[in-house]
Amino acid sequence: MDFDFSDDQQQLRDAVRKWAVKAYPFERRRSIAQAGGFSHEAYREMAALGLCGIYVPEQAGGLGMGPVEAMVVMEELGSAIVLEPLVQALIAGALLATYAPAGQADPSLSAIACGESIVVLAYQERAARYRLDVCATRADRTATGWALHGAKSMVCVADHAHAFLVPATVNGVLALFLVQRDATSVRTRGYGTIDGGRAGELELDGAPAQLLCTDAAAALAHAVDIGIAATCAEAVGAMDKMMALTIEYMHTRKQFGVPISSFQALRHRVADMKMQLELARSMSYYASLKLNAPAPERRCAMARAKWQLGNSMRFVGQQAIQLHGGVGVTDEYAVAHYFKRLTQMEMSFGDSLHHLGEVSDRLQDNAGVFT
Amino acid sequence: MDLAFTAEEQQFRDDMRAWVAANLPPEIAHKVHNALQLGRDDMQRWARILGKKGWLGHGWPKEFGGPGWNSVQKHLFEEECALAGAPRVVPFGPVMVAPVIMAFGNAEQQQRFLPGIASGEVWWSQGYSEPGSGSDLASLQTRAERRGDRYIVNGQKTWTTLGQYGEWIFCLVRTSNEGKPQTGISFLLVDMKSPGITVRPIRLLDGSVEVNEVFFDDVAVPATNLIGEENKGWTYAKHLLSHERTNIADVNRAKRELERLKRIAKAEGVYTDRRFRDEIAKLEVDVIALEMLVLRVLAAETSGKQSLDIAGLLKIRGSEIQQRYSELMMLAAGPYALPLIHEAMEAGWQGDAVGALHCAPLAASYLNTRKTTIYGGSNEVQRNIVAQFVLG
Repeated sequence: MDFDFSDDQQQLRDAVRKWAVKAYPFERRRSIAQAGGFSHEAYREMAALGLCGIYVPEQAGGLGMGPVEAMVVMEELGSAIVLEPLVQALIAGALLATYAPAGQADPSLSAIACGESIVVLAYQERAARYRLDVCATRADRTATGWALHGAKSMVCVADHAHAFLVPATVNGVLALFLVQRDATSVRTRGYGTIDGGRAGELELDGAPAQLLCTDAAAALAHAVDIGIAATCAEAVGAMDKMMALTIEYMHTRKQFGVPISSFQALRHRVADMKMQLELARSMSYYASLKLNAPAPERRCAMARAKWQLGNSMRFVGQQAIQLHGGVGVTDEYAVAHYFKRLTQMEMSFGDSLHHLGEVSDRLQDNAGVFT
Repeated sequence: MDLAFTAEEQQFRDDMRAWVAANLPPEIAHKVHNALQLGRDDMQRWARILGKKGWLGHGWPKEFGGPGWNSVQKHLFEEECALAGAPRVVPFGPVMVAPVIMAFGNAEQQQRFLPGIASGEVWWSQGYSEPGSGSDLASLQTRAERRGDRYIVNGQKTWTTLGQYGEWIFCLVRTSNEGKPQTGISFLLVDMKSPGITVRPIRLLDGSVEVNEVFFDDVAVPATNLIGEENKGWTYAKHLLSHERTNIADVNRAKRELERLKRIAKAEGVYTDRRFRDEIAKLEVDVIALEMLVLRVLAAETSGKQSLDIAGLLKIRGSEIQQRYSELMMLAAGPYALPLIHEAMEAGWQGDAVGALHCAPLAASYLNTRKTTIYGGSNEVQRNIVAQFVLG
């Protein structure tokens, strides 16, 4: 039972924090958002720190690290609400290393690790909402391999990615494919998202694809769980920063001759925010520490964590704006941008209500951290 | 970072589980598991069983006979007790006054009082709150005037839990009106058989008589019952509170009661009702998150760190969760929670339950549990303390 970080983990955290503070201040983020929501240059800087290779095995050029390392990195990226989606590199690294045939994935993995190749998960379909067992995209056998037909939504940095990890059905059974963006019959339509980032729609009209694995239901569930754990950690970092911004504001903002931090009603609000933040941090640790558990246990843990994080994000986010008063709803102040990122995270990888349903479906007679 | 107990800790847990299974009387566990009335004899019997093993004061330093358990071991022991249906230890002797006597009392007082506390033979009560001094405890007015080799005590204490069973009471009393209120308070041990003491029960909204008023009418107390120095009582009392007690979260009991909630919900046919089930699911995650918070505080203690900013959250959250599971159990019984049949809340009743026997105590538990966010430092005061850490 230990919740301390190793020296290596602390150094990794410090390295990311140092980069974020020095090279990714809020004004840079603002200009990246205004220019479309994704910066290749920033992504390369993250890759240079080794971040894109966290889940890439060492023999493929990555760092071969685990969930706790990913967690500390995501906390620091969340603290600076970095737009470039490292979570996708984590997912792609883990999926290719775990579910693709041995050796076949190595070239892709090396390219991911060094930041040369951006590979993202493309699984969201209109009819599916947050379900992972609904997939209309299908794969047909061709003379040269496979051709995919279908459409995927909210694909992170779709119009900047090099390749997509696409679940598609083969005779009704879910399989996982790799599709190059520059292949024929692949169309992307990029757009900005409410948090200032970038995503897009992906249309596949007989697009050539490489089969990675035939047991994609397990792979997709795993991918989403990796996404959840990473998102929880990112949210904790964002909430930490929002608390700090709010506290600073409350100490400097004076009304009726005194700082508003002296008003008891507001002090109690801050205590409630601290409660939600620590519950969130606790469940983020729980999620990362359960990420390598057997799939049913992992799935249950992620659902519990995402439900808690969703509630915490909502409360901390909404109250941070509230305590800023009028400036909290302006574009100029950073707090609203953190709020928008938290809002986006609520609807990523399944929202609170969806995960409450998952928890509810999985209730056993006894419950606790260790069940 | 890791979430596992060590092999030694697992073994300790197994050993505790076995010991509790062998030593907790089943008729007591039955009452606890079914929220039936526990009598004085039940509580004292368990205290004596623990005392005989030397585990009633399991948090005591080794030099005073404590088993020398670390934070994790204490947590595991308390968890095994709670899960098995052991009654709560009445804390006033072993957990509240004993540490003060050990830290600030003299050798004579330690010899005189500690054995009776450790064995579970002597029942202690707490004399802190007064009608005019609740959250603002330092404003207390019960006064102790020194006359020769005695203090003469006059005043009134209230909310004295199980005071009707108390044999000794430890009191914060006013010995000076100079300076700030806190600097005029002394810590005095009083024999409840002393002439001039009257105990009057206070009936709570659930019908129980759990707390009392204690009146002091020219009560003579030997000066040798003063702990430490006159007018230093406030610091002695606060010494207690500064120790992080993860027990305050009551998460072990919460896990047990969550299981009971599911049993009741199944029996009442609401476990398969989607909306009710979702409420159970929400509470389950709340309990898990609280358990994680407790484990974080324990791990910090074990590695010698403080985590006072988190420790302050445990009472708030723990008490809210206690209220929620008692509420959901009552709601599960629906209209069958409403009959008020006192006999049905006693073990061994053979009468005709309205609905089912498990419905009988649920509303009373819910009503009684409203106290948890009020006592032990109200949750509003706790929020003041948390805000102090965060905002300064």
